[in-house]
Amino acid sequence: MEVSKYVGKSTVRIDGKVKISGAAKFVDDLDFGADLLFAAVVESKYAHAIINSIDTSEAEKFPGVVKVVTGKEFPFRFGLYMHDRYIFAQDRVRFVGEQIAAVIARTPDAAKKAAQLVNVSYTELPNVLNVQDALKNDTFLIHPELGNYQHVPWFFPKPETNISHLRKVRKGDTNKAFKEADFVFEDTYTVPRYAHCAIEVHGTIGLFDNSERLTVWTASQSPYTQRHLFAEALAPLGLTHKDVRVITPFVGGGFGGKAGVSMEIIGAALATTVKGRPVKVLWTRAQEFYNTYQRQGLTCRIKVGVNKDGGIIAMDNTLYWDAGAYVEYGANVVNAAGLSASGPYNIPNVKIDSYCVYTNLPPGGPYRGFGYSEFLFGLESHMNEIAKNLNIDPVEFRRKNAIREGDILNYGGKMNPNGLIEAIDKVAEAIEWGKKEYSDDPNKAIGKGIALFWKAPAMPPNASSSAFLKFNEDASLNIMISGMEIGQGLLTVMAQIAADVLSVSPDKIRVETPDTDRNPYEWQTVASHVTWSCGRAVERAAIDAREQIFDLIERALDKDRTSLYLENECVKSRKEPGFSLPLRDFIINGIMKEDGTFRGGPVIGRGMFMPEFSSALSDPETSQGGKPNVHYTVGASAVKIEVDRQTGKMRIPKAVLAIDVGRALNPNLIKGQITGGLLQGIATVLYEDMRFDEKGKLLNASFSDYKIPTALDIPDEIISIIIETPQPDGPSGARGMGEHTMIPAAPMIANAVEDALGIRIKSMPITAEKIALTMVKEKKIDLINI
Amino acid sequence: MSEIQLDYAKPKLLNEALDIISKSINPYILAGGTDLIDMIKEGLVQPDMIIDLKGIEQFHQLSFKNDALFIGAGVTFSELIESKIIKEHFPVISELSRTVASLGIRNRATLVGNICSAVPCMDSGPLLVAYDALIMTVGPKGERSVPAEKWFIGSRKTAIEKGEIVIGISISSPGKHGSCFVKLGRYEGEDLAQVNLIILALKNYIFKVSFGSVAPVPVRAKKIEQLINGKVITTSLIEEACKLIEKEISPITDIRATKEYRMHMAKIMFERGLNAAVSRLNGSGPEYGKNLL
Repeated sequence: MEVSKYVGKSTVRIDGKVKISGAAKFVDDLDFGADLLFAAVVESKYAHAIINSIDTSEAEKFPGVVKVVTGKEFPFRFGLYMHDRYIFAQDRVRFVGEQIAAVIARTPDAAKKAAQLVNVSYTELPNVLNVQDALKNDTFLIHPELGNYQHVPWFFPKPETNISHLRKVRKGDTNKAFKEADFVFEDTYTVPRYAHCAIEVHGTIGLFDNSERLTVWTASQSPYTQRHLFAEALAPLGLTHKDVRVITPFVGGGFGGKAGVSMEIIGAALATTVKGRPVKVLWTRAQEFYNTYQRQGLTCRIKVGVNKDGGIIAMDNTLYWDAGAYVEYGANVVNAAGLSASGPYNIPNVKIDSYCVYTNLPPGGPYRGFGYSEFLFGLESHMNEIAKNLNIDPVEFRRKNAIREGDILNYGGKMNPNGLIEAIDKVAEAIEWGKKEYSDDPNKAIGKGIALFWKAPAMPPNASSSAFLKFNEDASLNIMISGMEIGQGLLTVMAQIAADVLSVSPDKIRVETPDTDRNPYEWQTVASHVTWSCGRAVERAAIDAREQIFDLIERALDKDRTSLYLENECVKSRKEPGFSLPLRDFIINGIMKEDGTFRGGPVIGRGMFMPEFSSALSDPETSQGGKPNVHYTVGASAVKIEVDRQTGKMRIPKAVLAIDVGRALNPNLIKGQITGGLLQGIATVLYEDMRFDEKGKLLNASFSDYKIPTALDIPDEIISIIIETPQPDGPSGARGMGEHTMIPAAPMIANAVEDALGIRIKSMPITAEKIALTMVKEKKIDLINI
Repeated sequence: MSEIQLDYAKPKLLNEALDIISKSINPYILAGGTDLIDMIKEGLVQPDMIIDLKGIEQFHQLSFKNDALFIGAGVTFSELIESKIIKEHFPVISELSRTVASLGIRNRATLVGNICSAVPCMDSGPLLVAYDALIMTVGPKGERSVPAEKWFIGSRKTAIEKGEIVIGISISSPGKHGSCFVKLGRYEGEDLAQVNLIILALKNYIFKVSFGSVAPVPVRAKKIEQLINGKVITTSLIEEACKLIEKEISPITDIRATKEYRMHMAKIMFERGLNAAVSRLNGSGPEYGKNLL
């Protein structure tokens, strides 16, 4: 009966003006006055070493130093999904740059200089810098205590090895299916590590005040998860959840890098050592690269069995993840990718082994795409190779095997409603699939590539969201949530949802960034789930408020409740066209009866959402049973490239992405996600990657040598196609879509390169250099005869 | 950011600047500051005195008199891009300047600063070497003019002497000529050259060829010049010249590119640059500023 007035429209961002005018405050903008102390960390020089001793005496004498803190003061293990890390290294270090100690001083410079005076004595241990070495029988154990670590029930560590988790999927009978298949295609693909490169670096300020409560200001996607981990990690000091408060102002980009807890624990812990004075830890750009989370590297061995007609009957996909020194968050990437590593295809027989492997490189963790970008590079490259070998058009091959509603998922559940076929068809049409194009420049070739994608939110089955909504005297609204605005437009969309229910226009709604004392619980802003989940909570809070309004009108004015509705900030009745009561007349101060008494009072709405249908319990040997994924969002993407045969350099005249968002709550914001996600994905395939030396030191911890795209690197044209097959449990039918837009970028470029030049590159990134040298190696061009 | 203690002077006169230098223990000269400030921040240099040259008027001079171009030490890359003199007589300097870093950096960074920092991947080095430019200095022993080829001694090492300041660069016009600057970067955004190359095509098909970022100092490719001078450019001549490139340059493998790719690209850049320079000499060819890669 209700027509949306705001949902589905491209409402202008409500946080736009404060951001472009510079009024928005980020964590480093907050002013703490002259009492503020600054901390600098002492970092490990080695990738793997025993700490023999730490001598802080010289640092303590340095002018301006207040305190030097080492791991001795915090011998507590903590972590999100697995307790495998410490606030400061204890007896050993496991990656170059790991924090060993911190100096707190009155100026940043004194802290930094004194930190250089802390003398750490090490005994080097053998480095384990890649998955192959980590898995050898006689390898050195990075976590000898692995067997004792506390972890979530859906992780399966292998004590006495470097395997911190193994996700196994067994569906159907792959052995039998491979024997029966007409053809089997097998290959190996590799993906390096990547950095998020949010423009704002990580920063945190902790204050343990004289009443012994801990307040921590952070640049974060996860204020409540941070509060929980701070409270858990610091519980031995007597802190409980109520004593810990996390305040998160605007964030300058997250992309997963600011999920969970990374360096923020340092600020929280240090604050407890200098009671009454705030202490700030602000990462440098270099630290941002080597001591937050990195996207994990992947080696993927994929084997696919097909029949002559192009039907896929079996897949065996083994994923080896270079998860780094600590996997408390990264192991869940491995888990999520493992459950879904068949891609958006209906395959009756599936075997997946997804190995989370400790190495002496910086900790891996969440990064937009959560493992799906990584395995889809191999999978979607491989799909093209199979189609080529079968002499079937790659679009037709995908169409034939694409997953449809009701098809059985890897863990036994059924695929949700989706418009994957529509996405494939629309993308193929937009890129003019099948039309061979030629460049005017004889050195250049034009190629087209397509890739499908899917992704489900990776979250605990009980991850929930909640919202408070309070009316003000003028019927304007404040909505309190702890979902984070990280550029995706969450605040705006939440305002749109409440606006529709309460008939108050979004410009009269303020949605603020979280403060855990004031705003109610949200698990984290990750997994492309927050519009879906927090959106449901806000919708319920708005409905709660509306029902209170109707209750009051019925009670105070004796109106027929079922006829009431809200329009233009007034309560109206279908039965009495003349009745129209402005919200502002009663929303705080109530309605006066004839005797001068009042009915009502301030209207405050409350809503929460938990996916009560989700479960992570399944057979560890097969993953059958349970419902770990709430829904999959699917789509297709295609690209047209013009590539220079000699130099390998590439231009992208056109990129197309179609995604089934269920319902487009704000189409412009969706287009923003498509543009940003595609560009971020294209950069990972064309020029980004992290390089380490033979001692495990990151070689390109700066933008001089870790390149992210500029305005000059955007495709000439980006076509965004929005498909809307409603998600039954989503707000107005919406489902998540933020991460998905970067996932197909790498394989579709790889496929376009193959189409243009006839070379298949199986390792990311596909740089101009790699293309040109492959062309030379495969004798497609001659080195001298140009 | 670190707190750093140092003195700063912004003299109005050259003599004043020289005087301050002579009295300081570890003086550093600041023109654009785009290299120096980073080096100070990273602790790579610890000056006790910074002498800012921007207050000295003559350092902002950009002139073309008696067939010689003078680029003062304070002239920024943006000023070179905008200059009518450059556009008319040395359009390749504008073509090159447009590839240096990003707009904000170009608004401060100077060509002279670039050749004083003298990192192997600098863009201005090959230009000066190809044009046989003179680097004009003044110091305690008086004025000197150092030929570009003798200016670059090694990675980050130049022929500047203690107490000296570079006043500017002098480039004699070779007369009507076509030219081309080609730079290899990893993407379209700002980048440090993995290879750069300048080719001048003078009348009677006399060529000047210089490579950068493929050796510690800019390479003047004299063997190639000798081979192609006076000849009509043909495919087989280019092939022959490309064989000589392997003898002229010695690229290394680092994080930005492998030596194999640098060598491969040097050849392609040579071919494309040569064709462009020749057609520009003849009044056709791609517009200056067009990326040939």
